[in-house]
Amino acid sequence: MISVKLVALVTLGYLGLLFLVAYYADRKHEQGKSLISNPTIYSLSLAVYCTSWTFYGSVGRAATIGLDFLTIYLGPTLIAFAWWFLLRRMVRISKEQNITTIADFVSSRYGKSAYMGGLVTIFSVVGIMPYIALQLKAVSQTFDLLTLPPPQRSEGLGHYLPQLPQTLDTAFIIALTLALFGVLFGARNLDASERHEGMVAAIALESIIKLVAFLAVGLFVTYGLFDGFTDIFGQFLHDFPERIHLLLIDTEQIPYITWFSLTFISMMAFMFLPRQFHIMVIENSDESHIRQAMWRFPLYAFAINLFVLPVALGGLLLNGGDTSQADYFVLSLPMQTGHYWLGMFAFVGGLSAAAGMVMISSVALATMVLNQLITPLILKFRIVVDNYYLILLNLKRLAIFVVVFLGYLFYRAIGESYALVNMGLISFIAATQFAPGLIGGLYWRRATRKGAATGLILGFLVWFYTLIIPSFVRSGWLHSAILEEGLFGIRLLRPLELFGLSGFDIWSHSLFWTLFFNIGAFLTLSLLTAPDEREREQAEKFVGVYTGSLLPKERQRISRAPSILEFVDLMSKFIGEKQAHAAIADYLGDREATIDQHGSLSEYELPNLKRFTERTLAGSVGAAAASIIVENYLSTRGSRMEKVFDIFGSVTLSRTSSREQLSVLYEAARVVASGAPLQTIFDNILELLIQQFKFDLVVIRLLDQDSMTLTVRSQKGMSSEHFGHSARKLTMETTIGEVFLTNQAIVVNDTDELKDKPQTSQIVHREGILSFAHAPITMEGEPIGVLSAFSKSVRGIFTEEFVELFTSLASQVGVAWRNNQQTRDLIAAREQQKEMEIAKTIQLSLLPQATPRIEGISLAGLCVPAREVGGDYYDYLERADGNLDLVVADVSGHNVGSALIMAETRTFIRARASKLDAPDQVLDALNRFFYDDLTQAELFITLVYIRFQPETGNLVYASAGHNPPLVYRHASGTIDRLDAEGLILGVRPEVTFDCCRDRLEPGDVLLMFTDGLTEAENRAGEFFGEERLVQMLIDNRHLQPQELIETLLQQLRLFTGSQNFRDDISLVVMKRES
Amino acid sequence: MSMKPTEPHRLREAWILCFLLGCIMLNYPFIHIFNKADTLLGIPVLVLYLLVGWPVSILIIWFFSLQLGRSDDDTGRRDRGAP
Repeated sequence: MISVKLVALVTLGYLGLLFLVAYYADRKHEQGKSLISNPTIYSLSLAVYCTSWTFYGSVGRAATIGLDFLTIYLGPTLIAFAWWFLLRRMVRISKEQNITTIADFVSSRYGKSAYMGGLVTIFSVVGIMPYIALQLKAVSQTFDLLTLPPPQRSEGLGHYLPQLPQTLDTAFIIALTLALFGVLFGARNLDASERHEGMVAAIALESIIKLVAFLAVGLFVTYGLFDGFTDIFGQFLHDFPERIHLLLIDTEQIPYITWFSLTFISMMAFMFLPRQFHIMVIENSDESHIRQAMWRFPLYAFAINLFVLPVALGGLLLNGGDTSQADYFVLSLPMQTGHYWLGMFAFVGGLSAAAGMVMISSVALATMVLNQLITPLILKFRIVVDNYYLILLNLKRLAIFVVVFLGYLFYRAIGESYALVNMGLISFIAATQFAPGLIGGLYWRRATRKGAATGLILGFLVWFYTLIIPSFVRSGWLHSAILEEGLFGIRLLRPLELFGLSGFDIWSHSLFWTLFFNIGAFLTLSLLTAPDEREREQAEKFVGVYTGSLLPKERQRISRAPSILEFVDLMSKFIGEKQAHAAIADYLGDREATIDQHGSLSEYELPNLKRFTERTLAGSVGAAAASIIVENYLSTRGSRMEKVFDIFGSVTLSRTSSREQLSVLYEAARVVASGAPLQTIFDNILELLIQQFKFDLVVIRLLDQDSMTLTVRSQKGMSSEHFGHSARKLTMETTIGEVFLTNQAIVVNDTDELKDKPQTSQIVHREGILSFAHAPITMEGEPIGVLSAFSKSVRGIFTEEFVELFTSLASQVGVAWRNNQQTRDLIAAREQQKEMEIAKTIQLSLLPQATPRIEGISLAGLCVPAREVGGDYYDYLERADGNLDLVVADVSGHNVGSALIMAETRTFIRARASKLDAPDQVLDALNRFFYDDLTQAELFITLVYIRFQPETGNLVYASAGHNPPLVYRHASGTIDRLDAEGLILGVRPEVTFDCCRDRLEPGDVLLMFTDGLTEAENRAGEFFGEERLVQMLIDNRHLQPQELIETLLQQLRLFTGSQNFRDDISLVVMKRES
Repeated sequence: MSMKPTEPHRLREAWILCFLLGCIMLNYPFIHIFNKADTLLGIPVLVLYLLVGWPVSILIIWFFSLQLGRSDDDTGRRDRGAP
């Protein structure tokens, strides 16, 4: 016996120590350091699974029933094999969705349904009541055991505080204390993420204490009071051979089916008890910790169970086989043998086990009650409060008390009549009811809310009927007739032999029927009902958490969207101003680029902000409530989430839109490239737009250079005077004008929101347009017009992708326009070329068609024009007196003008030269005749005129500034130049031309040429020059004139390195035969 | 002992196999083998089976979690990097 003061002091001192640890961890967390973010602490915190049931109840079970206490820990060891995919998936989803509780998890999975969340919450609270009762019972009874002599134990604390009313027993005080600590640990403030580092740290410490305490007692009993395992087993088998069943299974009390049921129940309970879910999933700080916890937690469970059997059997041996106190052997054995301090330590261990469970459970349940019941109700009835934050916080504190005291009530009702383990198992089977909907929801897309809800309700009703009703009967609350004769006397409805299923233990029986109805309804209704849209979306996020969603990303826009600040205000109301600002700063940090010049987010980004707000709120109030809050808020502002019309038809947007876009663009490109007339191309592109996207009107306007207005070039769809026909001025007052002037597409997805353009707004409304888009038509980046699309039926038709496509189409129109321009230019150029060809043909026909055959000489001539037409000219004229006139002329320029002058020159010479006696007279006449024309045309002519007497070989010649012809003297082998003074024609009206004479001896060669020959340049910029020409003439003197000319040209081409020449080249070669 | 990093999906199948094996070895009829009133080394056979089998299964989980550490380092990182 220990004094009550000491025990109370130690109890409070220990709880105080835990609180300090928690406080320290919270402070560290605020400084950005985490004490708990490591696999060891995580594994230890999972040991909150080991409650006073483990600490005291296991021994009691082992001493009375047998080995099945082990199943409670073997189950979790087995399910640990599944953690890497099951638990990790749950953690991943919860982090992505900001889940706060298991109720929130289930509600989120089934379309953020408040109804589903409420259901899970109510069942959780009811289901956990026996479990909390168990803890209160264990702590209060051990407290009494420790402090009171046996006769007064039934009086409880009243023994010391007689002034307390009878109803206030030890358990009440314990409940009050634990609830208070629950508030201190879990509800000092409302956390946006619902994570409590301090609480987790305290739980981890408690896990160490309870393990060490139990091991201490175990070692003490096994090796202190006995001589090890074999000694205890040996003595036990010797003293109580009739109790061999405690060391076996398949006994009367533990048939194999019970063994199996309990293993299964504990697997499910470990995963889906609200507090386990909370500590494993919500408080998990890093997924990778699971990997370590997978073997560390089972190791913990093994360690804490190692001495259960020795302590149980030792207790039986020491108490002569009396099992009445078997539930408290852990405490009573040290006390019995006078080791009070060890007893005290054992008490602290048991307290740790109970306190940890009560704290986490109450906090998890209170969060659930707050988020899934209270908040949705507040929102539903639109209770308007200034500061939700304080109200919610206090409600949460209240809820913690309520949860703990519900457990207390249950304890008062039936606690005395049930062993610890049996109370716990009732809760375990309750938690198992969450398994079908939750596991099914994680892996099965078809699972629907209706299925899950119905399964859950049926499961719980059966649970209540097969477990709670019998426990009420046992405690005397209900008449035992219902057990024996069934409800309303129907034997088929006997709670322990439902529908005549007899021969099972109470747990297997309940497990079978609850799951039968639960899973049955879940599967059947899921197959029969279809999930609504929201459910489908959430199902995708849960099932596809690793693979990414298979559904098309939902496109939404918000009409009359709130500003960023308004969203922040909304968040502040629920999570406090500081946290709201921190959250939004975080959010906007990544999205600076998307903020437009007005400081608001783009239309496409706003739905994301809405989702973010919802998610942030969900971290504090749960998904269902958060979704209601945001929807309510939007609806009171008159904002609405509108589905974006899927403009690409039934094809999903996110993955294949590029293909759809491409096909439309391809079609447009095909139209553009078709070579059809421009108007047809325009019409076809518009037709394509109308067909593909069902617009009501599409228009192409192009800038009219004369009037400087955007005039309609083509329109399709409804006929509208204002949209279809009228031109637009280039001003910023109309959207079309603005699009052109800024060269930027403009999209108005809701014409109600068009404020800054009264003119456009007026027209748009008169025509009933709901949304429209304009994109600039550009040519080489410069705007030349505007492409417009209007819709009268749908708002928000223009998605980001579509605008991109629309802009591309507009540029296709630009391409069509440019192609058209180029074609026109090309045609013009071709026509000009054709004329030049004609001119060239004519000009070539003006040159001598044949060389005259004159005895004693051979003669050849050639003109190579640089372009189609040229200014060079040569001619031979056979005179009536038998003389031969040779002319080589060069009109400056190489154009049609030059060609005309050349033709004129020819005409003049042909007409007049025969009548003039000497070459100089010809030149003089030419100069007089052409002076005016040449001056006017800014042209001039150089010309050399030679009259040759074939019989004698005499030459008379005159030159008008032309390159002097060359003569090869056969006799001397030298070259002479036929130089004659004379000014270029067309420079001065009166010019005196020299008339010179010379003579060609047989074998001599005369070469007349134009400067195109000597001034031909090679790549280095050198002229061909007269020297080379002279040398070549000498070298090739023996050739016939035609061959000589060909050789010359060939050499010239070699020299210039090109086939064509830059200037016209004319050559005449005459050889006097020897 | 050199361990080759195993692909994630094969590891997952191994987990499921171990889980099923565990379930079988802990239940009828398998457990019936050890459900005898004899003792071995002074300890009842069934108790001994459970007290030895349990740590062995923990050892197996530990062994696999090491494998996970090797093969999942990459995928884990990729997972975290995903948006």
